[in-house]
Amino acid sequence: MQLLWQILVNGILLGGLYALMALGLVLVWGVLNIVNLAHGALIMLGAYACYYLFTGFGWDPFAALPAAMAMLFCLGYLIQRCVLNLVIRAPMFNSLLVTFGLEVVITYLAQFLFSADFRTVNPSYAGANFSFLGATVPLVRVLAFGIALALTVALWLFLEHTRIGRAIRATAQNLVAARLYGVNPRQLYALTFGIGAALAGAAGALYGVVSQINPYIGAGLTAKSFAIAIIGGLEKSIYVLVGGLFLGVVEALTALYIGPTYTDVVSFGILVLVLIVRPSGLLGRTA
Amino acid sequence: MKPALKFASAALVVGVFATVPLWGSAVLVQFGINALILATLAQSWNIIGGYTGYPSFGNSVFYGLGGYGVAIAMVQYHLSFALGLILGATLAVLFAFLIGLPVLRLRGHYFAIATLGLAEVMTAIVSNLEIAGRNIGLILPLAKGDALFFELSLALVVVTTLTVAWISRSRFGFGLIAIRENEEAAAVMGVNTTLYKVLAFALCSVFSAVAGGIHAYWITYLDPGSAFDVALNVQMIIMAVFGGPGTIFGPILGAFALSAISEILASKITSLASIFFGVVIVVAIVFMPRGFADLIQNFRRLGWRYFQENLKAHRV
Amino acid sequence: MDTILEVRNLTKRFHGLQAIDRVTFTLERNQILGLIGPNGAGKTTLVSLVSGTLQPTEGSVLFEGKPIHRLAGFRRALLGIARTFQVMRPFPGLTVLDNVAVGALFGAAGSARQLAAARENANRWLHFVGLDHRARQRADALGGPDRKRLELAKALAMRPKLLLLDEVMAGLNPVEIEEVITVIKKVRDQGISIVVIEHVMKAIQSLSDRLLVLHHGEKIAEGKPEEVLRNDQVIAAYLGSKRR
Repeated sequence: MQLLWQILVNGILLGGLYALMALGLVLVWGVLNIVNLAHGALIMLGAYACYYLFTGFGWDPFAALPAAMAMLFCLGYLIQRCVLNLVIRAPMFNSLLVTFGLEVVITYLAQFLFSADFRTVNPSYAGANFSFLGATVPLVRVLAFGIALALTVALWLFLEHTRIGRAIRATAQNLVAARLYGVNPRQLYALTFGIGAALAGAAGALYGVVSQINPYIGAGLTAKSFAIAIIGGLEKSIYVLVGGLFLGVVEALTALYIGPTYTDVVSFGILVLVLIVRPSGLLGRTA
Repeated sequence: MKPALKFASAALVVGVFATVPLWGSAVLVQFGINALILATLAQSWNIIGGYTGYPSFGNSVFYGLGGYGVAIAMVQYHLSFALGLILGATLAVLFAFLIGLPVLRLRGHYFAIATLGLAEVMTAIVSNLEIAGRNIGLILPLAKGDALFFELSLALVVVTTLTVAWISRSRFGFGLIAIRENEEAAAVMGVNTTLYKVLAFALCSVFSAVAGGIHAYWITYLDPGSAFDVALNVQMIIMAVFGGPGTIFGPILGAFALSAISEILASKITSLASIFFGVVIVVAIVFMPRGFADLIQNFRRLGWRYFQENLKAHRV
Repeated sequence: MDTILEVRNLTKRFHGLQAIDRVTFTLERNQILGLIGPNGAGKTTLVSLVSGTLQPTEGSVLFEGKPIHRLAGFRRALLGIARTFQVMRPFPGLTVLDNVAVGALFGAAGSARQLAAARENANRWLHFVGLDHRARQRADALGGPDRKRLELAKALAMRPKLLLLDEVMAGLNPVEIEEVITVIKKVRDQGISIVVIEHVMKAIQSLSDRLLVLHHGEKIAEGKPEEVLRNDQVIAAYLGSKRR
């Protein structure tokens, strides 16, 4: 029983991070109709940004997080403005392939610049634990969970209650009408992708603290983010919380009761099942 | 080009290719085998992705099943290579029918993601199977020599392409194209869309599986990561799209062109080779999204404006 | 006179919204049935239930005496039911000729199995609807009236026994409407039974042997055109749009 509780806590903490991971993907998908195969690579870049700020300049990783987000925002903005805006009216398939090309470029650029070694971000308090209702909880994981949650809610508030956020949502629903209200699609698209990239960067920074990183983690993280996004439901960005938490807990339980090598089987198996049986996700409305 | 002339020149090219192992260097032969296998994969993807319009990101499953079919048959049961190929192909076809039925009901990007998910699931499942050697994989008996594999791969590409050629002028193929262009209209006009889609999926599974089997025996080693290489999926799609989806020779052109570019880059600039490859992909999709085949057809008419037109049509 | 189509108590509900409510009618062979009613009355839904695009919640559809309401759409096409769509559904990347050839290849009786024969077939139907000059053009390059002709040719190439036409005349000028009426009558003369959904009152009056009026998913009148159009309920349902 004790073990189960510990596993659940682990799963929930992981789930928060998962939700943040998928958040940027869902935003870009919903607003720009772009299925971003380079999403995981952006997460990876965020992790490295945080790593180098930590080891190079001595910044605390959680303080480096906003900086990583800012860097990724700029990168994302440029990517959309210079590359993705060129294929946005093409069949969705084209943007899929273009983002794959970008993923290749980013991954091998990272390999070239950072070498293929595994790295971790190890702040001094990395080993600190505290006890929560009987479960041992690593400090860094709780901090990561808290930040992930905060960012997810922040995005939701941004989209619902700010002028720009509403402009983004309006453009997602009806570009022609949004244009009539003075929205400049080029900038707005770039802004949206930038935000998505920034969120990926944040997820990466947190990921680097709780796990090892190398230039090749991108593809796997992209796949995982897809699973989280679809399982939660693409209708609203906030659904990603459900997807993340659900998958986090399921993976933790799978590792305990079936075996750690089976987590991918279960995660992606659920993804396929959800797509077949209920494509709108656990929370989405069935069409 | 008149069809007879086309056929004759294709036969000539095949004939020339067949002689490569006689005079080519070891490096050239190996490049050839890799390119030919990729060409088969691109061509078989063409059937479900190019002609039917269902972009599968899971053909690596068939490739892996083919590889493991051969590996398990030869290593665990000491059967011949041919039997291994048959086993692999059978597994792939079964998978195509069983999984194809539910998954082919999905459209567009949902189908793409579902197949991607399947690729991940199969990788994970197989890495837990004892008979497949788990994570470590299997080591196959040593093979006879590159020349044999070259001819086998060449034969496979020829068979796959002949099948695609047949599809392009058959009632079955017409039905697939109708499904791609407008599935609801096709159904209303009497096309059994479910059956046709699953058959297309099964067809591409056979060729992909045999390709996987040949590859596994050739490199004499197989593990879940390399067998079900998920990156291979996008590679074969890029090649098919680069060459021209929905055409007979497009995917082959694309496979050879991109393999060649990749080789040249790798030999000249090593570490930056892949980066340039990625750039090539991005530029190609932006400026010639319908592939080489379309470019060749329309360049005569439009010249450099062809690229401009593509850009204008697709940008913000 | 034999009945080719019989619809009994057909009902369709979408998440609580009643789209079609216990509609019953028959269609005799070689007759033209006009299906009219205000916007949103459920005319297209009814046709979709017959063609198989939608499955009924309750009730039955019988074609040549055999129940078909559980059959998939493509099977009904093979039995001899063809339909056109109000929002047209061409195969955009194919030529006009090949669009029609699909019908010839996959339709009901007399479907060609070879591409060459199907294309020949298609040529004849293009001539019938007056689209020969566009045979080699891409389907998505066609303008409105030509698209309607293409929809019709595609359906005819299937050699159906029952043809369901959904607003083939919308957006056409009076000359074009006359042409369409002539074509439809020629089709009927070939032995095909037809259900026509239309808003153009004069046309539907002269075309139909019988009229059926739908309102809010219910049948509110059925019979000879002159009688139906004098019916008080029908006039009330349209309220003013009767005069053309």
